[in-house]
Amino acid sequence: MINSILRYSLIFILLILLQVLFFNNIEFNGYINPWIYIMFILLLPCEISSWLLLIIAFFTGFVVDIFCGSPGMHAAATVLAGFVRPYVMRLISPRDGYEPGSDPSMVVYGFKWYLIYTSIIILIHHTALFYLEVFRFADFFRTLFRVIISSLFSISFILLLEYARKGK
Amino acid sequence: MRNLLNFLAKYNNLIIFLILEGIALYLISNGNNYHNTRIVKGIRGITRGMEEKISNTRTYFHLREINQELAAENASLKSTIEKFNNKEDLLFFSVSDTAYHQKYTFCSARIIDNSVNKQKNFFTIDKGEKDGLAVDMAVSSTNGVAGVIVGCSRNFSVAMSLLNLDFRVSARIKSNGYFGSLGWDGRDYKYAILNEIPQHVPVSIGDTIETTGFSTLFPEGIMIGTVSNFKNPGGDFYMIEVLLNTDFKRLHYVNVIGNLRKAEQLELEEPFQ
Repeated sequence: MINSILRYSLIFILLILLQVLFFNNIEFNGYINPWIYIMFILLLPCEISSWLLLIIAFFTGFVVDIFCGSPGMHAAATVLAGFVRPYVMRLISPRDGYEPGSDPSMVVYGFKWYLIYTSIIILIHHTALFYLEVFRFADFFRTLFRVIISSLFSISFILLLEYARKGK
Repeated sequence: MRNLLNFLAKYNNLIIFLILEGIALYLISNGNNYHNTRIVKGIRGITRGMEEKISNTRTYFHLREINQELAAENASLKSTIEKFNNKEDLLFFSVSDTAYHQKYTFCSARIIDNSVNKQKNFFTIDKGEKDGLAVDMAVSSTNGVAGVIVGCSRNFSVAMSLLNLDFRVSARIKSNGYFGSLGWDGRDYKYAILNEIPQHVPVSIGDTIETTGFSTLFPEGIMIGTVSNFKNPGGDFYMIEVLLNTDFKRLHYVNVIGNLRKAEQLELEEPFQ
């Protein structure tokens, strides 16, 4: 128990540092900013209780907000992602259900499952985040374009990180 | 009572979700407003040390370009001094007035945090109240307008970038003097939009756009950019796209401009507005 708390805290710190020190400074083309910290919500154990997931999601978003100077925006989007995660998992559950005590990872459930799982949650998270940032429906399609492009980048980077994580 | 408990047990996730989203939305509405930048600034104090380190590293990689810019600016300043030295009349002015017609003060500062990819961009500079900076002072780069200071602490200031949907500055076309209002439309960090130029005014691509000095923030004649495109959206005014002269993506050093007579001007104008 203590061991796994320690492990997840370490992953949390690593992901936040990676996001803040590296990905926030990339700025491809002025539009695209991959948000990979959401991976922390993705890799929590399958059987985590929903209320704990929500609180962890809020905390994660809040920490990113502090670093980005945008109070509430990431917290709102990440809590939404945490809220939909159980429903997404139920929607795309494998034929014989989830193994007890497993992580939702690429090794256990395969590449295709992981890709669908990641894409749905990231699209929801990015849509909420970008529309909250713009906070108006003028330029609807331009924002949608930014959502899609940024999501593609985030998904690619998260898949790479997942490979790296399971390679060890 | 039992029903209430059952209800809470059944929907506890939804309730926690709504409470947390409520807190987040409260934070958004409170913290992302122009007038409440102070809150952002307070929170930023925690992460500032780290940001300064990142910025130090970045500046190191750009030293060559910065040197070139400084050298160019030095040269132009030297030529200005030369002009004054050659005017012999200036040797006999009275020195009883210590400010001597000085209207603006300048102070250079280094940017330690900046962004161009949000809708409301701010940047942080490494000078604060200690160096005489105050809220509502103008910020310019060596090439043109950069922003306005919106919050000051003892050693740091936060400025609203020109790349912010809330930013407005009074600007004019240099060649004919017609003025309008310039702002950013949130699309591209290289372009801003100049509005309120009537349709009978001759505009051509490449025209210089500069500040007017009407707003008490910016001195007159600071360059903003050049006209890159203009169109007629219907109505009485042009919509002019301005290619910004300041490259916000590699902005490292800025000048903060204070207006010594701002209080006097605002006090005089107040009863008429």
